[in-house]
Amino acid sequence: MLHVENLTVAIGDTPILKGLDLDVGAGEVHAIMGPNGSGKSTFAHALAGRDGYEIGGTITLDGVDLLEMEPEARAAAGIFIGFQYPVEIPGVNNMYFLRTALNSVRRTRGEDEIGARDFLQVAQEAMDLVEMKKDFLYRSVNAGFSGGEKKRNEILQMAVMQPKLAVLDETDSGLDIDALRVVAAGVNALRGPDRSMIVITHYQRLLEYIKPDFVHVMVDGKIVESGDHTLALHLEDHGYAGFVNHDLDDAPLSGATA
Amino acid sequence: MSVATLASRTAALEQVGSLSLPTKRDEAWRYAPHKALGRLTFGPATAPDVVPADVAGQIPEIDGPRLVIVNGVVDRGRSRLDSLPAGVELAGLVDSSGDLAGALERQHEGAEDAFSVINRAYGTDGALLRIDGRPTEAIHIIDVAVPGDGQNASASRVIIEMAAGSSATVIETRIGSGDTFGGSNVRTEISLSDEANLEHIILQDLPSTHIHLGRVDVVQAAGSTLRARLFNLGSDYGRVAYNVHLAGEGAHANLSGLYFGVGQQTLDQQINVVHSAMNCTSRQTYRGVLDDASTGVWNGGVDVRRGADGTDSEQSNDNLLLSRQAEVNTMPRLEILADEVSCQHGATVGQLDEEALYYMRSRGIPQDEASRLLINGFADQVMDDLESEAVRTWISERLGRNDG
Repeated sequence: MLHVENLTVAIGDTPILKGLDLDVGAGEVHAIMGPNGSGKSTFAHALAGRDGYEIGGTITLDGVDLLEMEPEARAAAGIFIGFQYPVEIPGVNNMYFLRTALNSVRRTRGEDEIGARDFLQVAQEAMDLVEMKKDFLYRSVNAGFSGGEKKRNEILQMAVMQPKLAVLDETDSGLDIDALRVVAAGVNALRGPDRSMIVITHYQRLLEYIKPDFVHVMVDGKIVESGDHTLALHLEDHGYAGFVNHDLDDAPLSGATA
Repeated sequence: MSVATLASRTAALEQVGSLSLPTKRDEAWRYAPHKALGRLTFGPATAPDVVPADVAGQIPEIDGPRLVIVNGVVDRGRSRLDSLPAGVELAGLVDSSGDLAGALERQHEGAEDAFSVINRAYGTDGALLRIDGRPTEAIHIIDVAVPGDGQNASASRVIIEMAAGSSATVIETRIGSGDTFGGSNVRTEISLSDEANLEHIILQDLPSTHIHLGRVDVVQAAGSTLRARLFNLGSDYGRVAYNVHLAGEGAHANLSGLYFGVGQQTLDQQINVVHSAMNCTSRQTYRGVLDDASTGVWNGGVDVRRGADGTDSEQSNDNLLLSRQAEVNTMPRLEILADEVSCQHGATVGQLDEEALYYMRSRGIPQDEASRLLINGFADQVMDDLESEAVRTWISERLGRNDG
């Protein structure tokens, strides 16, 4: 589904991603772990199409080149990014925002727009999924939301948008254990054979709730190790120290397969 | 017409001949187009032979009583003055009976200037609105400028007097016709008795070849409340000045406004609130959106006089610049001579939030629409103050919005 080959991203003169390769198949959940500053979030935003990046290499989704597409076109193609820091938009209510977003991608895809009444049904199901109260729809997008509400709102948007590929950037950061449980349950409910996910996280904790099919370790702009979920457990015990400034072939790994 | 009024008008007429127009050195007129102001020609109010066809479509659809003034002369045909609600007296100034000297000769806190003298000299007609009651329908006063060959600018007056405990909504729409140079000079004088409550809305939407000079003077008695809403949208130079005097204890003035400039427009708001009684509150909340090469001016003052203890005032002016050529000049001013006062002010100038735009685009919303949503969201913080649905709809449509 997603094919990333030799991806390089620089911001100004500073290289951030230095030749990243990744393939994500339909229905798979991949976790990307790594120390701060390794380029995890930059990778997420390179997928989403943020301005200001110097990009080299290849990103395709179902064979379609994403790199020349604007962010809104990528959303219509099926990419969704759960932001680490969801943006507050005062004065724009959540309901109107969500419906505009859904109808924008439907229009781009040549589908009929969804009316206000039918949309309410879609929104209600998404809200139930993340245990949001109804007044939430009528508040401004993320404005004055708690950290947990913002992250739940990201999952709610994902449920409404029904993407092919969801990239969740540090969705667990700033969540207490109850919020984490709600968010993870929402994500798990949205797993399916046609939907792939990339879960970016610093900590193994989230992966106790969202079991990944594959775990990748990103260090200094590259994926340096890949394996199954036991790789995450290894990182929990040993940290990233073994991957930083070491010859990777000598890193003390157990239970991981490259 | 009383002798005193005639005397005052005669004096004003005598002054007109020797008037010097404001210059760049006058702080309140610093950003005005001084040459263009000098090209405005005023004279005795004269209705046009024909009211052009483009006027009708510009008048907002608002039910209830209305008075239409064209080139400073009341147009009875276009007005709706029959079956006025109980407690409402609405008439042309020249038609009004009784002793008008008190209403016409009221002295105000704000200094007079060349254009207020011109208004007094030539603004012989206009609206007189007296309210002693609580009408539910909004009262609509429409001022239309139709530049003529003889003189290109008109002057008119609006006088609003609210009796104790009265409550009303008054909408003043200012529009114009055609694409030649001209304009209007409208002076509104408002007096609120004890516990009176007025929502006063100005919709300024003259053609882009016109100049609008609006001035509102308000005096408030104890416990009265003014909610003044300005939508300053039209004209090449669109100016509205407010001088609000909180003269009675516990009076409240809540002023807000939105200016939305495009092209070469300059939209100028000059606000001054005087606190001279104890325990009054005032709020100034103005927002500007400036596109193309437009200029916004917000000069907002609070003047807390000796003895006005317990004053509580807040001022804010937030601006959104949509283009590199757009400009805003924001000047909050504060002068405090009393004790135990709380006065806050703040001003911001920003651009569309790139991070918010990206966030919305990542959800599939195209760039143009994302910008529009952000601009509307910004403007809504003023629009939300409006209680009249009809006015909200009119402004939404005027700003090219389809979300009602």
